[in-house]
Amino acid sequence: MRNFIKIIFISVFSLIISFSYSYASSGVFKVSHDLGFGKDTNLDPITKGRLFQVIEKTMNRLVRNDLNGVPSPSLATSWSANADASEWTFNLRKGVKFHDGSDFDAEDVKFSLMRVSANKSPAAKGISMIESVEVVDSHTVKMKLSTSFADLPLNLTDYRLRMLPSGSEDTIAKTGIGTGPFMVDKFDAEGTTILKANPDYWEGAPGVAEVHIIAISDSQARVQALLSGQIDMLRVIDYKQKPIFEGNSKFKHHVIPTGNWRGMVMRTDLEPFKDARVRKAVRMAVDRQALADLVTGGAAEVTCDHPVMKSDQYRADLSCPQDIEGAKKLLADAGYPDGIEFTVYPSSLEPTWTPIAEVVQQQVAAAGIKVNIQVVPSDGYWNDIWLKKPVAMTRWNQRPADQALNEIYHSSAKWNESLYKNAAFDSLLGMARKELDFEKRKAMYQAAQNVLWEESGTLIPYTVSKLIVTTARVNNLDEVENWSVRWHKITVD
Amino acid sequence: MVNQNQISKLKRLSEIIISIFSRPSGMIGFSIVILHIIIAIISPLIVPYDYKEINSLIMLRPPSEEFIFGTDQLGRDVFTRTLMGGRVALLVTFFGTLIAVAWGGFVGIFCGLVGGKIDDIVMRIIDAFLAIPWILAMLLIVVILGTSTEVLIPALGFFYGKGIVRVARAATHDVIARDFIMAAKARGHSNFSIIWNELLPNVRDAVMVEGAMRWSWMLLAFSSLSFLGFGVSPPTPDWGLMISEGRGLMSFAYWSVIAPIVALSSLIIGINLSADAFAKALGIDRTQKAPV
Repeated sequence: MRNFIKIIFISVFSLIISFSYSYASSGVFKVSHDLGFGKDTNLDPITKGRLFQVIEKTMNRLVRNDLNGVPSPSLATSWSANADASEWTFNLRKGVKFHDGSDFDAEDVKFSLMRVSANKSPAAKGISMIESVEVVDSHTVKMKLSTSFADLPLNLTDYRLRMLPSGSEDTIAKTGIGTGPFMVDKFDAEGTTILKANPDYWEGAPGVAEVHIIAISDSQARVQALLSGQIDMLRVIDYKQKPIFEGNSKFKHHVIPTGNWRGMVMRTDLEPFKDARVRKAVRMAVDRQALADLVTGGAAEVTCDHPVMKSDQYRADLSCPQDIEGAKKLLADAGYPDGIEFTVYPSSLEPTWTPIAEVVQQQVAAAGIKVNIQVVPSDGYWNDIWLKKPVAMTRWNQRPADQALNEIYHSSAKWNESLYKNAAFDSLLGMARKELDFEKRKAMYQAAQNVLWEESGTLIPYTVSKLIVTTARVNNLDEVENWSVRWHKITVD
Repeated sequence: MVNQNQISKLKRLSEIIISIFSRPSGMIGFSIVILHIIIAIISPLIVPYDYKEINSLIMLRPPSEEFIFGTDQLGRDVFTRTLMGGRVALLVTFFGTLIAVAWGGFVGIFCGLVGGKIDDIVMRIIDAFLAIPWILAMLLIVVILGTSTEVLIPALGFFYGKGIVRVARAATHDVIARDFIMAAKARGHSNFSIIWNELLPNVRDAVMVEGAMRWSWMLLAFSSLSFLGFGVSPPTPDWGLMISEGRGLMSFAYWSVIAPIVALSSLIIGINLSADAFAKALGIDRTQKAPV
């Protein structure tokens, strides 16, 4: 009998141990970032240099995209609007703690959202309609808008609108404190940033004990790092490199269609691009399907110079075949009968930029447009080249239509990279926000996309299908875009 | 009328040429270099396709009768681009070497001749520059001034002339104590006259051999810059750039990098073999360098 009790005791004890082990965070999950913001890289989510590979793992939003991209509860559990959608009430999740031990409450929401416009953040355009955030009680906030806006929850899914502890204005750039599944243990933008599992995470303890985020600026060096096992996941890989990983048991891969795009930006405040006809001529001279096939191996969806993804309810399906004669005529009408010449500055930060520039160079030559290519260093590309040079390369991750149109093309937007200014266009976006009738709202957003096709300074030839590769030891990675991934579920063998 | 002096110079030149080509290394090396130079000159006339023509229907085709070296990631003919890929590199590095030999040789000889504080100061400056990794300095220059040949030729010429200064100075020290230099000084010849008439003919061989070696290093340096994207601007074909563009796909599309790799390495080996044979023909033992 004594032995029997002993055996039972040992079995129960072993069971408890094995259970506790199976639920404990273990292993290190290693990823990379491209150091594109150089010395400006930081952990404040609303700044230009935000290191999103960290903030997406250490901070939560009020509303997040579910696995289908639909707004779903995160730190807000539910929400409702008044009849004209000018006042929104959000109920907050209770019992959530920040990494410093403080409780998450309504004051933090007010602080986190109101500082976005106060700091003139690039994210401000997406929520510029929020006039005030009122604390109703410790876990309820009311947002008063300057206009009606039916899509507020959608815009709150912006990857930068993370909830921070109130009063962390001066420290957040270094601490990265949030309510997310991982906590910043060591921040070293140019070396290895180490995140540790947050055992008290409200969705459950993460599957891995640590996440290492390593700075590797060259795109091919990142691929080599993945091949050699230095990192476990790469989310920006040239699609043509897929055969390297196919059939290789050391890696897992999946492909997801996205609204992410790569493009070429002409600054509309500089000659010869001040004239909309010149900008359109350059864009018209591009054979987008051939460009997509050449650069991505066909893993792309042709688009006509607007940033609204195919699955977006407000997308305008335009047609934009290559038209060399039309481009020549536009250039002649604009006073450039002999064509134009400009230099574009790609870098190895994005593996497809140089090939895009090379293909565009060849395609537009027939229209009398001479493109010179000067490759520049990838370190600090976003500080030194983008928004500075007359023609630069660019890339954006997908955004909802309203956010994308406002953030990239509104006259007062901080990341209006082509410096496009059109009061009528701004007014159209404003009216679309106010409109409560879906069909009318849709018509306005589509009209805005048509305006961009006519006047935009940004060539957006296609949206990409994303090849995502992990080492075979990585499990449970959601096959969705960054902003929908539930990072706490990942485990490593 | 050809005078005795010219006859003896021609005789020596022919002896050197015979000596170079009588050695297997010289024969092979010079043949490779000459072949590369000929290809670089005539390639625009003999290539089968336009080097910049892109075609999405023939991307990454393996070698075939139609495309004997295959096609690259943008559907361009690798054979065409390989044949033309050495033109800019040879041009830039040839003139870069001339500049390096000219300024490095002159400064080295001058320092060796005058000695004293000037020599000390100049050599310490040279030491300081030698301490800077060339790739960092070159990247800094091309980022600030661009990647045009007008920038690359003098920049490479400057950085590869530093080593020549030391060799020229050491060779000058070997001859400076000889009687004919003392005699020239006693005759009141200027420093320039002594350098031109007395020192240059005596240190020329060492400087030229060093220059030939620097040429191969400079070629490698230029290709490294192109590999990093800071040499030749696309779509101009260049071996370093071709290797860089094809490296991500080389595990399954090896043909887009094999040809430029073979071309680049063969030229560097050719120059090295030639320089070696050249040194031996001149009676310079490169393993027994004078102290610097």
